[in-house]
Amino acid sequence: MPVTLRELRPVHVIGVGMHRYQFPSETPYIHMGLTALRAALTDAGLEFQAIESAHVGTTGCGMAAGRVMFRHIGSTGLAVQQIENASASGSFAFANACLEVASGVRDVALAIGVDKYGDQKRAVTKEGINRLSDTASVPLVKYALLCRTLAREKGLSAEDLARVGWKNHNNASTNPFAQFQKPRTLEQVLNSTRVAGDLTSLQCTPRGEGAAAAIVVSDDAMRSFGLNAARAVRVLSSTAGSETLPQGREPGSVIAARDVALRTYREAGITAQDLDVVELHDAFSIEEILYTEAFGLCPEGHGHHYLREGRSAIGGECAVNSSGGLIAQGHPLGPTGVGQIHEIVRQLRGENGDRQQANARIGMAHMIGLGSVAIAHVLRKD
Amino acid sequence: MKLCKPDLYKLSDDGRTMLLRAARCSRCGGLSFPAANYGCPLCGAGPECCSEEALSGEARLLEFITIHGKVAPGITPPIVVGEAELAPGIIEEIELAVPEEALTLDMIVQAVPIPIERDEESVLACRFIPKGAL
Repeated sequence: MPVTLRELRPVHVIGVGMHRYQFPSETPYIHMGLTALRAALTDAGLEFQAIESAHVGTTGCGMAAGRVMFRHIGSTGLAVQQIENASASGSFAFANACLEVASGVRDVALAIGVDKYGDQKRAVTKEGINRLSDTASVPLVKYALLCRTLAREKGLSAEDLARVGWKNHNNASTNPFAQFQKPRTLEQVLNSTRVAGDLTSLQCTPRGEGAAAAIVVSDDAMRSFGLNAARAVRVLSSTAGSETLPQGREPGSVIAARDVALRTYREAGITAQDLDVVELHDAFSIEEILYTEAFGLCPEGHGHHYLREGRSAIGGECAVNSSGGLIAQGHPLGPTGVGQIHEIVRQLRGENGDRQQANARIGMAHMIGLGSVAIAHVLRKD
Repeated sequence: MKLCKPDLYKLSDDGRTMLLRAARCSRCGGLSFPAANYGCPLCGAGPECCSEEALSGEARLLEFITIHGKVAPGITPPIVVGEAELAPGIIEEIELAVPEEALTLDMIVQAVPIPIERDEESVLACRFIPKGAL
C-alpha cells in the first residue's frame, strides 16, 4: 500500500523568495535565480551551505542550468537535479524536494524555478504525427472553443470571462513580483485585443521570465539550525497525475485537474471548504472558472456565479489567485509552480500586505503542464 | 498537386473530397485517428495489431470559433476552426474553409481538398465545408 506525504516525516517550507516575473529581457537567468535563492535563504535564516539538494525547474535555460548558477553562490557539493515538465516544472521540483525530506534522505532541500523565454520546442512536434488543424496542440484554442460551448449551455458571458482577468490584474497590481502591476477595468479587459473566440489578450497569460525559490526542511533541521518554527508552513500533501483517455468534450486537463485536487484533499485530510487560498493554472480566464468548479470550491456549472459574487476575491470565501495568477503575476514556466508556493506561504504566515486573506490557514497550489499533467500541494500553518 | 499532410488523408476516387486515414485495432476493435505507427492508443496493443481504415470525411460540427491572433506557426489569421466528431467518439479539431456565419452547430461538414501555399509550394490541404455546399 503506497504511503502519502502526510504519513512520512513532516516537511515544512521555511523560506521563500522570488525575482519579479518580467517580459523577455537580457537579464541573465543566473541573476534572476540567485536573487530568488538569496531571498529564500534570508527568509529561512539559513546559509547556502545548509542546502543538501537542489531541484531546478526550468524549460528554456538549457542543460545543466543548476550547477552553472550555483557555482556563483558556492560549490558545496550539493545534489543537483534539473526538472522539465512544461508549465508544471517548478511544481514537480517542489514535489521532489518535499519527498526527499519526507523520506528522510535529506533534511534541507531547495526547489527553485528559473526561466528565460526559450525556444518553446515541444516534444509533440517530434511525435511524427500531423493533426488536421495546425492549432490542435494549442491549449488556448481548445479553451476558446469551450468558452463558446459554455456560453450556450451555461450562460457564460464574455463579461464573465473578462471578470477573471479583471480580478487577477487588480490582485497583481499590488504584487511587487508580478509581471503586470497595473489595475484594469472590466471594460479594458473586455476590449483588449481579441485572440481567439471570445478570449482577449488581458485574459491570457503573457510570455515572460523570472525565478522563484522555496526551501523545505525536516523537524530535525528546524531544531539543529535553530529555525523559527513560528514561520514554518507544513506541506500536507503532494499529488500528481496526468490525462486519461478523453470522454466527450470535457478537456482532459480539467479531468486530470479534478482528479488530482480530490486526491490531494484526501491525502491532506481536508475538504475544499477548508481552503482559504488557492493558486491555480489560469493561463486563460476560462480555466479559473472551470477549476473552481472542478476543485469543489463551488458546484459544477456555478464557477461564473462564484466569481461574480466575489467569493474567490481576496476577502471572499477562498482567495483564488491572490498573486494575480498566471494571467497577471505571469507564467515564466519553470518558476510558476514555486511562485505559487511563495504566495501561499506568505498568505498563511499573514505576511501578504495589501493582498492578505484574513485568517488564512490552509492553501492549495495546483498546476497543469502540457500533456496534460496535473500536480497539487496542500499547505497548512499550524 | 501534393497533399499537405498525406499521413492524415487521401483524395477520394472522384477527387472532390478527402478520405481520412484512421486505424482499427484487431485486439480491442477500437478505431483511432490519426493512424500512428506506435500502436493502439485505446488498449496499448502493438502496431502490428493496427490496420488502416478510411473514414468518409463527413463529420458532425460540435463547435467553432474564429482565431484572430497568430497563435501557432504556419497559420494566417483570421481562420475558423472547430471541433467535429469524425466517427462515433472520435472528436478532432478541424479547420473550416468558410466563415463562422456559414456554420451552425451539429451540421454535417465534409473534408475537401483546398489548395494552399505551404513552404513556398502549392499543396492540397484538408479543410471542411458544410456538406450541403459540396
